[in-house]
Amino acid sequence: MSLVAEALVSQVAGKVPFIHVGNQVVSELGPIVQFVKAKGHSLSDGLDEVQKAEMKAYMELVNNMLLTAELYLQWCDEATVGEITHSRYGFPYPWPLNHILAYQKQWEVKRKMKAIGWGNKTLDQVLEDVDQCCQALSQRLGTQPYFFNKQPTELDALVFGHLFTILTTQLTNDELSEKVKNYSNLLAFCRRIEQNYFGENGKGRIPLRLA
Amino acid sequence: MAAPMELYCWAGGWGLPSVDLESLVVLTYARFTGAPLKVHKITNPWRSPSGTLPALRTSDAGVISQLHQIITHLRKQKYNADYDLSARQGADTLAFMSLLEEKLLPVLIHTFWVDAKNYVELTRKWYAEAMPFPLNLFLPGRMQKKYLERLQLLCGEQRPMEEEEVEKKLYREARECLTLLSQRLGSQKFFFGDSPASLDAFVFSYVALLLQAKLPNGKLQTHVRGLSNLCTYCTHILSLYFPWDGAEAPPPRPAPSTSETDEEPYRRREQILSVLAGLAAMVGYALLSGIVSIQRAAPVRTSGTRALGIAEEEEDE
Repeated sequence: MSLVAEALVSQVAGKVPFIHVGNQVVSELGPIVQFVKAKGHSLSDGLDEVQKAEMKAYMELVNNMLLTAELYLQWCDEATVGEITHSRYGFPYPWPLNHILAYQKQWEVKRKMKAIGWGNKTLDQVLEDVDQCCQALSQRLGTQPYFFNKQPTELDALVFGHLFTILTTQLTNDELSEKVKNYSNLLAFCRRIEQNYFGENGKGRIPLRLA
Repeated sequence: MAAPMELYCWAGGWGLPSVDLESLVVLTYARFTGAPLKVHKITNPWRSPSGTLPALRTSDAGVISQLHQIITHLRKQKYNADYDLSARQGADTLAFMSLLEEKLLPVLIHTFWVDAKNYVELTRKWYAEAMPFPLNLFLPGRMQKKYLERLQLLCGEQRPMEEEEVEKKLYREARECLTLLSQRLGSQKFFFGDSPASLDAFVFSYVALLLQAKLPNGKLQTHVRGLSNLCTYCTHILSLYFPWDGAEAPPPRPAPSTSETDEEPYRRREQILSVLAGLAAMVGYALLSGIVSIQRAAPVRTSGTRALGIAEEEEDE
């Protein structure tokens, strides 16, 4: 998340990502997908009921494990917190607000971790969970180009978003991205989407580079 | 190979082997895998070796009290319900368990512990009647606070005006989740074919609690009843793996009548005690304030006439 976006979040009091369409602001992936579907564009129309169930389940898996692991690493790993997160989070605010807000956010995240049972986990256990999650995704993907064969769906978008962020964000240690790099089909998946949708010859206009 | 392991879990009720979700999951998983567990069904969490329920006491790894860790330990002891699953099915298991935790767990907590009618008439009543005195006075309330906090952290902080909307969203997502599970199950006996896996233990526990508990406010219950394959799935597992626990269901029903007859001697005893206490208070007041005075050193007959004298005095006053 860029600093600008985070600052905007505190003003809009909503969540990132959000899209602005005319008078409406729609935030978060789920509602955005519903909104776009209402306008007549949906990626998962071609799936049958069982596949839709699986897609939703895998999306929850990503939210449950990858998102929580990213949050953990950002806020509960002391090395990362001290070097990167605190200063990044508090950057838009004057002293002493930057420290206060950062500590408050850290306290909130730690409370949430405790509530879902991650409070006592060590970094190694969290990395193992990430590995399990990646293994599940890798097995589901197999040798297919996308999770539901030929056409990308919301799940592909979600997985790409998370994996790409993990692979390209520089942290104090590289263990998280190393875990993802162990799965070659996931790496190939990310490269494929980047080239097809974000490359210079692709459909999008945002240039991204995957090291 | 495994040393006897002891499982401490919440007791049964509402036609189920346990009223608590996590205890039910462990019990079901143990039945599926045939793990030799010595089960202690208790109603006092302070008697558990870890202070919480469920808890597994093992000979080599101490006491384990986190649900997923208990199941991992059982797997390590070669009681693995997922042994026959393919890699892809294992991945699906992980995905569906996340779905359950994200979509169904908040609603389960809300239905049993936050919804006012359900909490007062069902949950708190069961726990208060089951727990020993004096724990039943404060523990249910404490448990409710803990669950409420957990729910708030799971769903994010909301302002009071948005609470109803958030609640509607929660229940809508739960209904969707149940429908998805029903679609995934289809007409199979278990989620992955003919033998049960760990995912079945989880899904069964969630759905059985929602289905069997006599909830006064059962919005989700109606939806579950509409998904006939899930209902059949639950009753099938109950009858196959918990047949004698199903027979425990009748005792809770006559229990209210036996508890009433039990209460009668207590009631009578309390009545007698209160009458005696009242009499003692009256006599004591009479003696102390001088209305009645007892003078000793009189033989039985004279004390009888004296008593009459006293009665006459009192009547005069």
